[in-house]
Amino acid sequence: MNEQIKLPSESDSVVITTLKYYISGIQLLWQGKTVFRESNSHHLIHIEESKSLTIPLHTPKNIHFDTIEFCVGIDSISNVSGAFGGDLDPTLGMYWTWQSGYINFKLEGIHPKCNSRKNEFQFHIGGYQMPYYPLQEIKLSIPNKKQIDIYLQLEKLMANLDFKTQKSIMIPGKEAMDFSKRFTQMFRTQQ
Amino acid sequence: MRKGIIYIALFSFFALVAFTSTEPLFNVPSGWQKPSYDFSKNILSQEKIDIGRALFYSPILSKDNTISCASCHLSFTGFAHTDHDLSHGIDGKIGKRNAPALMNLAWGKTFMWDGRINHLDMQALAPISDSNEMNENIAHVVEKLNQSNVFKNLFYTAYRDSLITGERTLKCITQFMLTLVSSNSKYDQVMRHEDTFSSQEKNGYLLFQKNCASCHTEPLFTNNQFANNGLQQDTVLLDNGRYAITHIASDSLTFKVPTLRNIEFTYPYMHDGRFKKLSQVLNHYTSIPQHASTLDSQLQKPIQLSANDKVDVISFLLTLTDKEFLYHPKFQYPKKLFSQSPNGL
Ligand code: HEC
Ligand code: HEC
Repeated sequence: MNEQIKLPSESDSVVITTLKYYISGIQLLWQGKTVFRESNSHHLIHIEESKSLTIPLHTPKNIHFDTIEFCVGIDSISNVSGAFGGDLDPTLGMYWTWQSGYINFKLEGIHPKCNSRKNEFQFHIGGYQMPYYPLQEIKLSIPNKKQIDIYLQLEKLMANLDFKTQKSIMIPGKEAMDFSKRFTQMFRTQQ
Repeated sequence: MRKGIIYIALFSFFALVAFTSTEPLFNVPSGWQKPSYDFSKNILSQEKIDIGRALFYSPILSKDNTISCASCHLSFTGFAHTDHDLSHGIDGKIGKRNAPALMNLAWGKTFMWDGRINHLDMQALAPISDSNEMNENIAHVVEKLNQSNVFKNLFYTAYRDSLITGERTLKCITQFMLTLVSSNSKYDQVMRHEDTFSSQEKNGYLLFQKNCASCHTEPLFTNNQFANNGLQQDTVLLDNGRYAITHIASDSLTFKVPTLRNIEFTYPYMHDGRFKKLSQVLNHYTSIPQHASTLDSQLQKPIQLSANDKVDVISFLLTLTDKEFLYHPKFQYPKKLFSQSPNGL
C-alpha cells in the first residue's frame, strides 16, 4: 500500500508503507451478555492483503447481537506459550526476535515532519508484562446483520501525534502503552 | 553299520512386530521435578527430533550459510563455546556474551543470561536474527528450507506434509533441545547409590550445599532465578543483565543462575567468560567486594573457604561431568541425515 492520507488538521501528507495489526478475542453480545465467543480468535490484519480484511465468524443460526467486542493485540498467555502457526506464525514479521513477544500493531511510513532518516517513522506496539501490557479492548455497537462493517480511522490514530518528537517506538514500555490508548478511538461502524 | 545322519533343522520364529526402541524419547530422571516445558503442545516424535537435530547442525539457518547453532554450541563441551569468552558469529563478528551450555532445557523457565526469551520455542529466533550471530530472518529461513530436498523429505516423514512453516521449524528445534538431558554424572550415580564419593568429594559436597546450593540448587544446579553474584561490571561491555529487560532497579547486574552440570567442560565461565578456571571462580566467591547495591543477600556475608576447601569443592564440581551426555552420538552432527547433501543445503 502506498496511500496518501490527508490529515484534516494538517496540510502535510503522510505516506503509510506498512499497516499490520492483530485482532483477537472476538465476541458478540446481546443486551450486555456474551452470546458468541470465537475460539482460537487471532487474526492478523494486513492492509496489503485483502483476504485478511474479512473475518468470517462461524456463529449459530439466527443469533441476536447488538455489540461486538475484540482486542487489538495478543493476550499475555499466548505471548508466553511458545510457537504457534496460522496468523500467529513467527514468520509473519509480527514477533520480536531480540526478546520474546508479539508486536500487536505495526505502523510504518513517511511524514515530512520526521527529522529521521528519509523522514521515516515506525511504531511497533507490543508487550505482555505488567505494567506495560498494551492490549486494548474495543467495544462497538453494531447492527444485527450478516455483514458487519468496521472502519479504521488512521487519522484518529495520528491526530495530535507530534511527529517531530515521536517517530519511533520499537520496544515495550510506557511509550508503547500510551500509544496503544489511541486504538480505542480508532474504530467505527459507520463510514 | 551305516551311520545315520540326522539333520536337525532349527527354525527360529520371530513374530512380525515392528521393533520399536524401548528407550523413551524423554525421561524425567527419578527424583527430579516436573519439566516446565508443556510437552502436550509439542508432542515428541523421533522424526521431529531428527529434524531439530538437522536444523541445529545446518548453516542454512544463517544468511550466508556459514553458521549453525553448533558453531557456538558444541556437543563435546556441553554445548558451550569453549575457549571463546564472547561468542563468534557471522563474518567473525563478536557478540556481547558467552555462549552458555545447553542441557536440561525442559526445566528452564526463561532463557538467555538476562531471561529475555520467555519460551524455549522462541529461543532460536534470537540467534537467527541477530546481526552478530546468524543475521537471517525466519521467513527467509523457511523459504530456503522449502527449497531444500533434504528438509522437505524430513518434514514429509514427520508431518505427512512437506510444507515447512515457522511454527514447525521452531518446534522441531525445540524437540532436539528438549532431548539434551544430562543426568548420569558421578554425582547422579552417587545419589542413586550406584557409586560413592571420595572423602574429598564428600567434603566438597558439604561445602557446596552450605555455600552454593541456594542458587545452584540440586538436581538441576540452578534455581532458574536471577542474582548478582558480585562480579564487577565489565567497563567496556557495561552489561546490566536483567535490568535491561525489566527496568526494575533491583534487577541491575543480575544474571540467570547457570547450571553447574558438566562445568569441567563449559569454560570460560560467567556471562562474559571472564574466568578460565574453576579456581578463579572460587577465588572470586571468597573475595567478593561489597560494592554493588544489588549484591545477593546470601553473598553479603563473605564466603569462607580455605585453600583445601576450594580444592575439595572443585573435586565435587568435577563429579558433575556426565560423559554419556557429552559423547552421546545422538547429540552429534547427523552424518546420516545429511548423507545425500552436506548440511542439507
Ligand atoms: C554466534 C554464536 C551463537 C549461535 C550461532 C547460536 N547461539 Fe545460542 N547462544 C549464544 C549466546 C552468546 C547465548 C547467550 C546470549 C545472551 O544471554 O544474551 C546463547 C544462548 C542460547 C540459549 C539459552 C540457554 C539458556 O540456558 O538460557 C539457547 C537455548 C540457545 N542459545 C540455543 C541456540 C540455538 C537453537 C541456535 C541455533 C538456532 C543457537 N543457539 C545459535 C551464542 C550462539
Ligand atoms: C546468590 C546466588 C549464588 C550463589 C550463592 C553462588 N552462585 Fe555461582 N553463580 C550465580 C550466578 C548469578 C552466576 C552467573 C553470574 C554471571 O555470569 O554474571 C553464577 C555463576 C557461577 C559459575 C559459572 C558458571 C558458568 O557456566 O559460567 C560457577 C562455576 C559458579 N557460579 C559456582 C559457584 C560456587 C562454587 C558457589 C559456592 C561457592 C556459588 N557459585 C555460589 C549465583 C550464585
